[in-house]
Amino acid sequence: MTALQSQKTRRKFSTLHVIIWGYIIWSLVPVIIAVAYSFNDGRSRTVWQGFSFRWWFSDPNASLWHDDSLRNTISNSLILSFSTMLIVTPLGITLAIGAQRIIGRKSKVVQSLTAAPLITPEIVVGAALLLTFTQLFTMIPLGYTAQLLGNVTFSLSSVVVIVRARLVSIGSSFEEAARDLGATRFQALRYVLMPMLWPAVMASLVVVFATVIDDFVITSFLSSGVGSETVPLRIYSSVKGGATPALNALATLLVLTSFTVLILGLFGLSFWRKRHGEPGGLRAALSDITQADA
Amino acid sequence: MLRRDFLRNLVITTGGVTLGASFLASCGGSSSTSTSGGLIIGTPDKPVKLPVTTDAIADGLAEETGTLEILSWADYQNPESIAAFESKFGVKVSISIYDSEEAAIVKLRNGTFNPDLILGMTDTALARLVAADLLQPLNKSYIPNFGNVISGLQNPYYDQESQYTVPYVVYGNGIGYRRDRIDPEIFTSGNGYDVMWDAKYSGKAAVLDSYRDSISMAMFRAGKNDVNTGDADVLAQAGADLIALRGTLNPKVDILSYQEIPAGNRDIAGPMWSGDILSALMYLPEGTSADVLGFWYPENTITANDFFCITKKSKAPVLAHRFIDYMSDTDNALVNRSYVGYQPALESITAEMLLSTGAVSESLVDALITPERYASGQRLIALEPAVDQLWLDQWTAFTAG
Amino acid sequence: MTKQPRLWAGLALPGSVWLIALFAVPFYAVACIAFGTIDPIFRDAVPQWNPLNWNFVQAQEILQSLINGPLQGVILRTIIYVVSAMSISFLIGFPIAYFLARHAGKRKLLMLVLIIVPFWVNYLMRMLAWVNLLSPSGLFSRYMNFFGVHYNWLDGSPITVILGLVYGYVPFLILPLYATLDRLDWRLIEAARDLGASSRDAFRLVTVPLARAGLVAAGVLIALPMFGDYYTNDLLSRSPSTEMLGNQIDFFLNSSTQPQRGALLVLAMSAILVVAMSFYLRSTNKQAKQTLR
Repeated sequence: MTALQSQKTRRKFSTLHVIIWGYIIWSLVPVIIAVAYSFNDGRSRTVWQGFSFRWWFSDPNASLWHDDSLRNTISNSLILSFSTMLIVTPLGITLAIGAQRIIGRKSKVVQSLTAAPLITPEIVVGAALLLTFTQLFTMIPLGYTAQLLGNVTFSLSSVVVIVRARLVSIGSSFEEAARDLGATRFQALRYVLMPMLWPAVMASLVVVFATVIDDFVITSFLSSGVGSETVPLRIYSSVKGGATPALNALATLLVLTSFTVLILGLFGLSFWRKRHGEPGGLRAALSDITQADA
Repeated sequence: MLRRDFLRNLVITTGGVTLGASFLASCGGSSSTSTSGGLIIGTPDKPVKLPVTTDAIADGLAEETGTLEILSWADYQNPESIAAFESKFGVKVSISIYDSEEAAIVKLRNGTFNPDLILGMTDTALARLVAADLLQPLNKSYIPNFGNVISGLQNPYYDQESQYTVPYVVYGNGIGYRRDRIDPEIFTSGNGYDVMWDAKYSGKAAVLDSYRDSISMAMFRAGKNDVNTGDADVLAQAGADLIALRGTLNPKVDILSYQEIPAGNRDIAGPMWSGDILSALMYLPEGTSADVLGFWYPENTITANDFFCITKKSKAPVLAHRFIDYMSDTDNALVNRSYVGYQPALESITAEMLLSTGAVSESLVDALITPERYASGQRLIALEPAVDQLWLDQWTAFTAG
Repeated sequence: MTKQPRLWAGLALPGSVWLIALFAVPFYAVACIAFGTIDPIFRDAVPQWNPLNWNFVQAQEILQSLINGPLQGVILRTIIYVVSAMSISFLIGFPIAYFLARHAGKRKLLMLVLIIVPFWVNYLMRMLAWVNLLSPSGLFSRYMNFFGVHYNWLDGSPITVILGLVYGYVPFLILPLYATLDRLDWRLIEAARDLGASSRDAFRLVTVPLARAGLVAAGVLIALPMFGDYYTNDLLSRSPSTEMLGNQIDFFLNSSTQPQRGALLVLAMSAILVVAMSFYLRSTNKQAKQTLR
C-alpha cells in the first residue's frame, strides 16, 4: 500500500471507529444507567436521590431481599430455565443427530419441522399454544407446565442448530474409524461421537438457559397469574404502573444471572477445548455459543 | 445468528405438515356445545333472584389454615389491612390481579385463575359468573357485619337476598383533572363533557380502558342517557365521537390515571371512577399539595357498586367469608379506604362523615357519592351477547387507532 | 440402496414427535378455532375439529370486516413501522458489521464481545432503561429540555416506538450481518481494486452482490419478530395511535372475549409471513448458488 492509500484507510478507520464506539455506548449506557438507579435512595427511577442499598436488601418491605413476590418471580424464572434446559438439551441432541443422518424425503420433513420455529414470530407460537392448551390439550394446565412445554418447543431448534454445527465440524471420520475397528453404529455413537459433542452440549445448556430466562412472549401467554410470574413478566407489568427502583434491581439481577451462566459456559468450553486438544480457546468457545466466527 | 445457518441452506415450502382428520376426531368430537340456558340479568325495574345450584357451606365450621387466594383489581386493598387480616387469622393472603372483567371471566372459566374470593366485579359480570357456575352461595352466619352494608344495597336488583354477593364499594363516573392546570370553571360553563374533546389537552389526556364506561361517556355528551342501549345508530355515533376524541387528543387508553395524574404526566382523564381520584392522593410526589387534584361529577353519569363473591371451587370458603366480614367492619373499612380511595358500601360511611373527619379534603368533595347521587345515576346492566358485540365492535374501532 | 438404519430414525423420533405435537398441531388448533363457531352466551370459541365442517364463510366475513375496517390502519401502520425500523437498523448495523469484519484487526475479539453484550441483556430491561430515560423526569428528556426540545417521548409517539424497535432489534441484526461479511472472500475485492475499480465501485459491484443473500436473510431475521412485536409498543407508548398488529392479537386473545378473532388474525399473520418467508428463501437460495460458482 502506498503512503496515500494507507492514509486514506486510516481516515476510513476513524469514522468507522467512531460509529462502532458510538453504537456500543448507545447500546450499553442506558442499561448501565438503569443498573445505577437500582441503587437510588428514593422511590424514583428517574431522579437521583442518593446512593443506598435500600431496594436490594435494606428496605424491610419493598426490597428485593424482603419482598416475597419479587423473590417468587426470581425462583420461578430459575426453575423454568433449569427445567427447560434439562429437557430440551437431550431432546435436541438426539433430534440433531438423527435428522442429519436420515436420508430421503423423511429428511426434508424433519428439516422443515425443525427450522419452522426459528422463523415463526414468538407471538404466533405463543398464541397457538395458548389456544391449544385451553381448547385441545386441556389436561395441561396453564402456568408452569404450559410455560415449560412452550419454552422447550421454542428452544428446540436452537439446540439443533448448535449441535448440527458441531456435528459438521467433527465430521464422520471418527465414527467410520470406530466402525472399521468393529464397533456397531450405536457403539460408535455412544463412545466416539457423544464425548466429542460435549462442547455442543455445554453451549446448548448455556444458550437455552439464557434464552429462557429472558423469554417474555410465550411465558406471558401461557402464564396463570401470580404463581407463574417470571422476572420478565414482572418487569413488564410493573413498568406500566408506579414501580420502585426495586424493579431496576430485579432486572439487574436477571442480567447478572444470565451473564454469569454465559461466562461460566464460555470458560468451561474454553477449558474443555484446551484439555481435549482442540484449537481455539476462548475465541472458539465464543463461536460455539454465538455461531459466529470471531 | 443461530437462525442464519438454517436460512442459508433451506427452502421451505408453504405446504407444511398435513394431518389426517382421524387423528383429531378422537380428541374433539363434534363441534356443538350446550349453553346453560341463557343469561339471567336483573334490572332495577325487574330485580331477579338468581338460581342456586349448590348448597352454601354449613354453619359453625372452623377457619381453614394456609393461604387465602384473592382475585382483585390492582391496588384495591390496603396492604396494612391485608397484613392485619393475616395476623388475626394466622394465614397468608395471596392476591392475583385482573384488569378487565371480561378477561378475568375467560380465565376463571378455563381454570387459569383459581381464587377463593373475587373482589371488585360488578353486576355486568354477575350474570355470566352465575351462568358459568363459578360461584357458591354465601352463608351469612359468617358475615355478621353484613348489617353494616348500606340498607338500599342489602337486597340489590341484580342479586335479590344477596345470595352470592356482598357490596364492597360504591362509585360514580366523572372526569379527573389537575386543578393547577385546568380551571374547574370550564366544566360548569356549558356541556362539561365537551372538555374531553378540547384540543387544548392534546397529549395530556387519557380515556379509561373500559368499553362500557367510555362509550357511555360519549353517549352522555350527546345527550343520550340509556347506557344499556342496543340502538346501532346511537352506538355508531358514540363510536364516531370517540374516534374524533382520539384524533383531537391522542389519549392514552389504560386504567392508570390514578397514578399518572398525580405524577403530573397527565392533565385530564375521562371517564374516571370516583374512587380513583381519591386513591391518587397516595401517589402525589412529596411536597405536592392535595389541592392539585380535581374531580368533576356530571349530572348525567353512571353510578355503580361492586362486590365480593366466593368461588364454588374455593378451598378456603370460611376464610373467604371471614375476609368479607372483616372488610365490612366499619373501622377496618375506613383503614382500607384510606389507601384504596373508593367509598365503602357501608351505611355509616357517608359523604358527610368522610368530610367531617377530614378523611377526604374539601377540594375533592365531588368525588364522594351521596345517596341522592347514587339514586340519580345510570346503572350499567349486563348486555345480551348480541348487543354486547355491537359495543365491542365500536370499542375495537376506537382502540385500533 | 442401503437400508436406512433404524437408529437414526429412532433418535430423531422423540424430537420430531414433540415438534409435531406442540408446534404443528397448535397451528391446526388455531385453524379449527378460527374456522369454528362461537358459543352464544360466553362468546367462547368452539373449535371445529373436522376440516370438512370448517366455516370459511363466516371467517372470511370477519376477516374482511376487520381488515377493511378498524384494522386497516393497524396493518398499514405495522408495515410502516417495521420497514422504517429495518431501514434504520441496516443504516446502523451494516457499517458496524462491515468494520468489524474488515478492519477491526487486533481489537476484533474485544469489539465482538462488546457488540454481543446487548444481545444477551434482557430485551425488557433494555426497554425499561429507555422508559426511565424517556419519562418526563428522565435523564434524556431533561437533556433534551436543555436544547429547548420539550417533547413527551412516551406519549403515543411513533418516533419513540420505531426507535425503540431499532434499539431492541439492532443487536439481532449485527451478528448475522457480521457473519455474512466475515465469510466473504476479500481477495475478490482486492482483485477488483487491482483491476482499477475505485473503492466505491468495488463495494457496489462486488461486495454488495456477494453479500446480498446474507443481507436479505439477516433482514428477514429481524423483520419477522418485529412484525409480531407488541410489547415494545406497550412499554413505550400506550396509545391507540401506535397500535400494532401484535397488540390486537394480544388484545383479542388475552383481554377480550373474542378469541375467534384472535385466532383468525394469528392465521392471517402466519400466512402473510410464510408467503414472504418462502419468497425470500427462494431468492436467497438462488443467490447462494450464484456466489458459490
